[in-house]
Amino acid sequence: MEKKQLLSSLDRSIDEIRRISGGSSDVLINRFVTGGIHCALLCCEGMVSTSVITELIFEPITDIPQQKDAHRLFHHINEELLLSTDRPEVGDYDELFRLMNSGFAVLLAEGMDYGLAFGVQGYNTRGVQEPLGEGNIMGAHEGFTETVRTNMSQIRRRIKSPELVMELSKKGDKSGTDICLCYMKDRVPKALMEKIRRSLDDVELEAILTTGYLRPFVENGSFELFDSTGTTERPDVLSSKLIEGRVALLVDGVPYAIVIPHLFCESFQTLDDYAYKPYYATFIRWLKYAAFLAAVLLPSFYVAIVMYHPELLNSTLFMLLVEAEKKAPLSIVTEAVFVLLMYEIIREAGVRLPKPVGGAVSIISGLIIGDAAVNSGLVSTPLLTMTALAVLGGLVVPELNPQVTVLRFAFLAAGGALGLFGISLLACAVLVNICATEDYGFPYMAPLSPFRKKGMGDTAVRSGIKKLQNRGFTVEEYHE
Amino acid sequence: MNSISKYQFTALLLITELFCLCCCMGSVSVTTLLGILAGTAIQYLVFVGFAVQGGTLKKWAEFFYLVYAVFCGGALLNSLWQTSSEIYIPYEESGGVMGSIMVAGLIALVCLYASSTGIKSVSRAAVIAAFLALTCLLVDLISAVFNADWENVTRSGRQGLLGELFRGFGLSGSLGGAAVWLGKVRGDKCRAATVFFTAKAAAAAAVFLTVLPVAGGIMTLTEHPVITAAQLSQPFEAQRIDSIFLVVFSVLAVFSVTLQVMTGAYLLEAIIPRFQRWRSLTVTAMMIGAAFIIGSRELSGLRACAAFAALIVAPLGAKRSAAESSG
Repeated sequence: MEKKQLLSSLDRSIDEIRRISGGSSDVLINRFVTGGIHCALLCCEGMVSTSVITELIFEPITDIPQQKDAHRLFHHINEELLLSTDRPEVGDYDELFRLMNSGFAVLLAEGMDYGLAFGVQGYNTRGVQEPLGEGNIMGAHEGFTETVRTNMSQIRRRIKSPELVMELSKKGDKSGTDICLCYMKDRVPKALMEKIRRSLDDVELEAILTTGYLRPFVENGSFELFDSTGTTERPDVLSSKLIEGRVALLVDGVPYAIVIPHLFCESFQTLDDYAYKPYYATFIRWLKYAAFLAAVLLPSFYVAIVMYHPELLNSTLFMLLVEAEKKAPLSIVTEAVFVLLMYEIIREAGVRLPKPVGGAVSIISGLIIGDAAVNSGLVSTPLLTMTALAVLGGLVVPELNPQVTVLRFAFLAAGGALGLFGISLLACAVLVNICATEDYGFPYMAPLSPFRKKGMGDTAVRSGIKKLQNRGFTVEEYHE
Repeated sequence: MNSISKYQFTALLLITELFCLCCCMGSVSVTTLLGILAGTAIQYLVFVGFAVQGGTLKKWAEFFYLVYAVFCGGALLNSLWQTSSEIYIPYEESGGVMGSIMVAGLIALVCLYASSTGIKSVSRAAVIAAFLALTCLLVDLISAVFNADWENVTRSGRQGLLGELFRGFGLSGSLGGAAVWLGKVRGDKCRAATVFFTAKAAAAAAVFLTVLPVAGGIMTLTEHPVITAAQLSQPFEAQRIDSIFLVVFSVLAVFSVTLQVMTGAYLLEAIIPRFQRWRSLTVTAMMIGAAFIIGSRELSGLRACAAFAALIVAPLGAKRSAAESSG
């Protein structure tokens, strides 16, 4: 939209607004006379609070005594009335529509070539609720919401330091989405902030509707299996990341924050780890590492060992597997692919279907398909057990689910075609890919490789809080 | 900046050394170990001299190391094919020449991808791979200790120390890589050389001191003593774990060949700067070609001579660093 200056004639200005909006029904124009000056209060229906607008704008404004001209009127409002804490001036129609569509009421007066805007937002938003994707037992039960300002306040409540900077900007030509860049200015190097800002300058999208629209701009462009930026829906988790010197991006309309940079080991850390005793937290962490490996490799190892390397099994186990696989009509690889595909279809159906139908999906998948497949001899019980274990392992690290899913199939194909040799070859390629992943010079595999001994206190084990307190860690230590 | 740490440098080269040890042919004795250790000491002294000079190479030296990388890559692929009679790779043995080409092709594919990501990522991956490989190798070899006969350690070999020293040189596949990548190491290059050669000596000692008591009794019958020692690892009565060795072996093979591909590609670019796009592919193709030319020929003598030449060329072909030339 062109940046046309506001017209001083109120009638012509209102005509211009009607022309630009195409007579949209939700643009409300209330004309009235106050202090002897013809005025209009513009707002967008559904974006403002009716009670607030009546109490804070209409009631005080209609009591204004007679004024000489519109300049005096605006001076009186600005100096003597405290209508709203957020009162920007509006100079052009572009700004007027942007503010109006963000829940501001804009006051125009006859003879004035600028308007006064008042923040009286009152649109319906979802309240702060427990996050669905990042469960927590011992920590806070608050998650981000779709309103960026609510999310900003949630972070500010947790970090009251003036070093925390929140930079609001707009992205998306059509959507005009509010983007908030958060960082601790004493922990993040200026050069890094400049790089991130430059990356965001490249965003020329028409609309930003989810974090996925922005992540490619702040990630390395090369082919990476794993994400070098993370997301979180928990303000407490984000606060801890900010304190460690990371940068966060909040997007209006999305209850997730993007965290820059993200490390592989962070996918295995939860806030609960810091609530338990170190020995238990360390145990849980290693359980997650094992679960991740099992999720990716278990079906492929099963197939490779049964098909090519049975000497790895003891005789009892070997006979058991032979007995089970003897009855199965399909080859082991086909069987495994079939079971895994079946699971993926059921999972996808469960995610997309309305909740009341979800129960039916569980019954059909678990009882009818699962039971029938085994009873009919289509799938062997050991293979089903291995697949189920692998799937369960993947659920332990939900953040890595897309990668686990794809890699599980890839390793299965490699193991089925070339046994352990194939698995090793693919593992080398994946390992190189993970080690090549980095964002703004932060290697994704740090502190494992490049190895940082200091980082091991919260990676290989979970040291005591007193010890962690003394290490004064910031992610800058991993920068290469 | 494309620089690597001394530990990444060590891991990258140690993998090649371990792979060469795994593919080691013929009987070995404690003299072999002493020969390798003596050879490592000589290599260390020469490389410290090279590191003091700055660790960068003149053009003619770069050309030499390019040829050496292609030769080493070919020799490594050849070693992989030769060990296929003892290590089971599906379709490899039954497929004949096509099977060998398939295995080489698959490894080349992974190597090409790895080299395309750059030295930094490969060296980072090498640290993890070296750690896993060493752990698995240790598990495999320690399991073999159950069948060990410690009297075999002192059994004398068929060659003298000088012969074994020469043989040890033939088992050093990473000297070219060490000469080329030492210049990319951050910080003290002498320390990097110290860490690498110490790790090399320690790894060789650990492998041989496990292999000798396990396979010493059947040394004259075995072609690949390290692989045989791994195959004799049966900690449980009705269960073998030597297939795990295959995993280690494949990982070592991939990273060893990748090091040679990367070294060759880097040098090719340095010699012909315009030739960038297909450099890794060209070097890989040359290596596979070299592997076919080598065929089933016994090359331990030639490899030892080449390694000796690679050792001499490093200090002779070193560019004088600015610090040194100024005074």
